Amino acid sequence: MDKIYNYVVEALIFSSDEPLRHSEIIKAIRGIDGEEIEISEGDVEKCVDELNAIYEEKNLSFRIKKVSEGVLFATREEFSKYLGYLSSEKSKRRLSQASLETLSIIAYKQPLTKPELEAIRGVNSDYILTALLEKKLITISGRAETVGRPLLYSTTPEFLKYFGLYKISDLPKPREIEEIMQDEDFIEQRRKIMMNLFEEKMEEELNESTGETNDGNSQAE
Amino acid sequence: MFKIRLEQFEGPLDLLLFFIKRDELNIYDIPISQITKEYMEYVNLIKMLDLETAGDFIFMASTLMYIKVKMLLPKEIDEKGELIDPRADLVKALLEYKRYKEMAEELSFFESAERKISYRGNFEEDLKETPEEFDTLLKNISVYDLAKAFKKALEERKSEPVHHVVKISVSIEEQIKFIMDKVNEFGEIHFLSMIDQVREKIRIIVTFVALLELVKMQMIGVKTSEDLNDFVIYKIDIEL
Repeated sequence: MDKIYNYVVEALIFSSDEPLRHSEIIKAIRGIDGEEIEISEGDVEKCVDELNAIYEEKNLSFRIKKVSEGVLFATREEFSKYLGYLSSEKSKRRLSQASLETLSIIAYKQPLTKPELEAIRGVNSDYILTALLEKKLITISGRAETVGRPLLYSTTPEFLKYFGLYKISDLPKPREIEEIMQDEDFIEQRRKIMMNLFEEKMEEELNESTGETNDGNSQAE
Repeated sequence: MFKIRLEQFEGPLDLLLFFIKRDELNIYDIPISQITKEYMEYVNLIKMLDLETAGDFIFMASTLMYIKVKMLLPKEIDEKGELIDPRADLVKALLEYKRYKEMAEELSFFESAERKISYRGNFEEDLKETPEEFDTLLKNISVYDLAKAFKKALEERKSEPVHHVVKISVSIEEQIKFIMDKVNEFGEIHFLSMIDQVREKIRIIVTFVALLELVKMQMIGVKTSEDLNDFVIYKIDIEL
């Protein structure tokens, strides 16, 4: 890809208010300058990385983020407070525990029917599915081949954008059951150890400030 | 002074996991009698406060009691010749649920991180529209949205006071003409206001089918409106 297109790519991303796919960028460039232009998705990817490197070097307040199978300009986390002041959208309520659990099940097992979902959650899911459909975080993606041809649910591009994911496979892999069981004890033990260490450090600091001449005492702790 | 603080449980599995964790029970060897007793105490408590939520929990209560009884009887043997543990299915369900509960927490971290950034956006709507592909005729609209608007249209019909069974003849062609007339007159029209004058349910249904036909023929397009229970129909200009 010709270096001159770095700026074109930047401009295209700048003008987009939705995640822009690499293919769209290539389409625009070829559409104007001709089909023979040499440019691949790898080139676009590299270009985005180069731009982000420049922004990093110049300490600019934004970056190009890879989200929902496309790219989009986004501010850095550091400025969330100031942005929140001016925008009412951020004060939107967060998702409920039930929503998050349902979404995580659908995200991993999609496409999924309502009975399958309810078997895992153990509760009736009519309301939560309607609510999530309304929010466009999930959609109906077809019907299962089984008796009754129940509806199938899957996640949407909005789901990816909401959680800042590039593609579904970016979700962390759910841990194996064995791991979870062992980890439970490990976390508890580690927590206790951390507590002890913390208490020790507190005492140390206390001694240092009150008994500066008593080096012997602090050593003993 | 008594202060009751009830934890929010997502369902019976969540509650059981809570007991297992609190009492440090071995999930692979759950003391059914003990856990059933604690579970029932909680269910009786929420029954007093909120009967609707209690409903979700009652099925599990009966399952626990069934398992409890089965534990007292001699264990059955499966095809492999091994003893069947009546708790096996429950344990499997608990572990499966726990996995996704953890994943929900991961998602919640992603959600928090996303809230800290702001994307380039809030642009004005693009007025220059040239529908080239079939997909763009259905802007940001899903099957669900169409179904919702249709349902609302049907529900708002006031029923006829005198019940008179009459065969109403209405054809798709008729309704196609009806829609096209409206769309030619107004350019753009909301679905609900278009069928406002239509009296009979069957006519509304045929109108909806006619609408789908017209979209298929690419003579009209459909897009979302500010009212989420409605959608807008607009005419497609055919270039000769």
